Amino acid sequence: MKRIRTFSDRALLLAFVAGVSTTLLLILVPVLDAVRLSLYQAESFISAQTWVGLANYTRILSDPTFWHAFGIGLLFAITTIAAQVVLGVLFALLLDQPFPGRPVVRGITVLPYLLPTVVVTVIFQWLLDGGLGLFTVWAEHIGLGRPAWFENPTSAMLILIVVSVWTWTPFVTVCFLAAMQTVPKSLYEAARVDGASAWMRFWHITIPMLAPMLTVTVLLRSIWMFNKFDVVWLLTKGGPLSATEHLPVLAYRRAFSQFDVGGGATVATLSFLVLTVLIAVYFHYFPLEEKEEKS
Amino acid sequence: MAEQDSSKALIPPSATTDTFSRRRVITTAATGAALMALGAPAVHAQTKTIRFLNAEPSRESVRALRVAAAEYEKQTGVKVVVDTVPPDDAYSKLQASLSSGTPYDIGTLAFAGHMLILAEAGKLVPMTKLIEKSKWGPRILFPVKGEHYWYPYDYNFCWMYYRKDLYQQKGLKVPTTFEQMAENCKALTEGGKFGVGHPLGANSATQWMSIGYLWADGLKMLDDNFKLLIDNADMKPRMIRYLDFMKKLQPSMPPGMTQALFGTVLAQYSGGQIAHAPYAGRLMEVLEDRAPDLAGKTGFFMYPDSAGKAQAVNHAADGWVLLNTPMRDEAYKFMEWFTERHYINFLHSAPLHFQPPRLDVYEDARWRAHPLIEKHAELVEFMRGILSSKDVIIRSIDTEGPRIDLRPGKMFETFAISEAIQNRLLKDMPAAEAVDIMAKKYRAVL
Repeated sequence: MKRIRTFSDRALLLAFVAGVSTTLLLILVPVLDAVRLSLYQAESFISAQTWVGLANYTRILSDPTFWHAFGIGLLFAITTIAAQVVLGVLFALLLDQPFPGRPVVRGITVLPYLLPTVVVTVIFQWLLDGGLGLFTVWAEHIGLGRPAWFENPTSAMLILIVVSVWTWTPFVTVCFLAAMQTVPKSLYEAARVDGASAWMRFWHITIPMLAPMLTVTVLLRSIWMFNKFDVVWLLTKGGPLSATEHLPVLAYRRAFSQFDVGGGATVATLSFLVLTVLIAVYFHYFPLEEKEEKS
Repeated sequence: MAEQDSSKALIPPSATTDTFSRRRVITTAATGAALMALGAPAVHAQTKTIRFLNAEPSRESVRALRVAAAEYEKQTGVKVVVDTVPPDDAYSKLQASLSSGTPYDIGTLAFAGHMLILAEAGKLVPMTKLIEKSKWGPRILFPVKGEHYWYPYDYNFCWMYYRKDLYQQKGLKVPTTFEQMAENCKALTEGGKFGVGHPLGANSATQWMSIGYLWADGLKMLDDNFKLLIDNADMKPRMIRYLDFMKKLQPSMPPGMTQALFGTVLAQYSGGQIAHAPYAGRLMEVLEDRAPDLAGKTGFFMYPDSAGKAQAVNHAADGWVLLNTPMRDEAYKFMEWFTERHYINFLHSAPLHFQPPRLDVYEDARWRAHPLIEKHAELVEFMRGILSSKDVIIRSIDTEGPRIDLRPGKMFETFAISEAIQNRLLKDMPAAEAVDIMAKKYRAVL
């Protein structure tokens, strides 16, 4: 074990301690409190709390609403992640090619990711407004009538997916674009000399070289999309007919409006556990290979 | 050095040697402490602060509270700090303030169930004596074990507005039945204009603005033992009639009503997009502000029933509560002063929207002198008639049952009735099936 000797070592240690303390205070404490609350029955955060043990878990796990919300969450997460990764890689490949004005186009591509979620949702709400929305008016002009975008369970879910993909694909694009700059050009040149087609170069050089980045990106996006609350709440509030109500919305509703703090905490804890299991399974199949230093 | 010596010579010997003696230090410190102690009450009185959580975010309401706060501070030296949040955030903010150990002294609540939770948790101070000083309208005081914990300032009734000019053009009559209402709305739906705008989402707007017809038709959700009645032989046909009626109204509504909230309906009516709108007095205030020509062309009626025999309004109540804090006595004194001297000023901040629950206000010349109240005397009489007429049904989901209880509050928050409407309208589900699903959801929380 190395000893802390230099100023730089001490600064690093300080930063590490600060990071761990902040994580403990702002993440672990609330998580542990949520787990504690899931073992109690309470109508509000200030009401008397009654110990019920695992009764909340039995109740929630036998409630079809929970499984419906779980399914909705999986559907939302899988479709948005798949679309983000496919489109993100595609855009990264395009933006890696030389063309006039490339820096400007690269800058514009990132714009959706820079917009606050609330701005994005308000924009889409206006575009899809049943009376005055631009998309509604266009749909009417081409003979589709005035679509009730948010009144159909399928179209409401599709809107959520489209908005999410539009907003967060740039993150994937930027990650891949950055990773692609680290792939040695000599590999492509050698492959080209050997007669490899563009597709073969992509499949046999680009993808393997980007695999660690792909693993991390999919993992991060999975966590974020599975827990994504803001865009769903701001656009549909889980409706219509609970068609877009996933676990975060269900937990929020139970804890903050349906006088069921224990139930809400249970949904949140179960969601956390499910995500942990999914991540473990993911790492089992797609392990991150560590580069070992050879001395 | 010479300069130093000369200055030292100017200082009396007692000052140089005795100035820092132990006795002198102790005497000086004791004198200082005594002086500070003498001054302490005055300093303490100056820093007394009452924290008031307001949930009426309009500029006029905030100003009315700040004017009262400034006047109170001038008179008593007690500072009143007013924080304002949107109505939907008031309860969360109040809970957070309690949990963090910095509770507000006065809060605003729009949901009687929240008042009940706080009262039962011992977080509120009763205002029974203050309440008993006045006469109140029906279904607005929600005593908990014989004590009054909130001071209401608004009935928040919801009724229907309609375009009188369009009625005249089409030769229509004010509807007294579901059927007539549906026909009128149909007749007024043409050329991008719609007959009515009823919110249809799973939210408070729907449960305030779209279900008044049910009360008019005699629906009771709970009996005196808080047992669900909604799917029994008497009530289920009423629910079915209502859902089928809403289905009939649907083609007369603008698309996107599942997304509609309070402001949506105000915008739709003031923009001339819909011919009927459910709302309280706020709609007339908005018309006076944004579309004054429409204000004179707007009439009003209560929700009709299916047979033309009864009428109803939906209600929601707003009131202030006193928190059980170290400042509770000061906060109580402030409430006594405020409700005596500034209650009407506050009501004037939304003169047609804040419907006074205190009956003396209607006779008060100060209240009646507001220009909008004078101008809309007919509407004000209509509003007052809701309180005085025994034929008008006043109900809301969260106040169902024989007394205030959390169970109807839980029913409200399931939004099961909104989902029944959506099942009937969006999925074309038979009304009876939609009622059964709704009843199951309600039973789960009762």
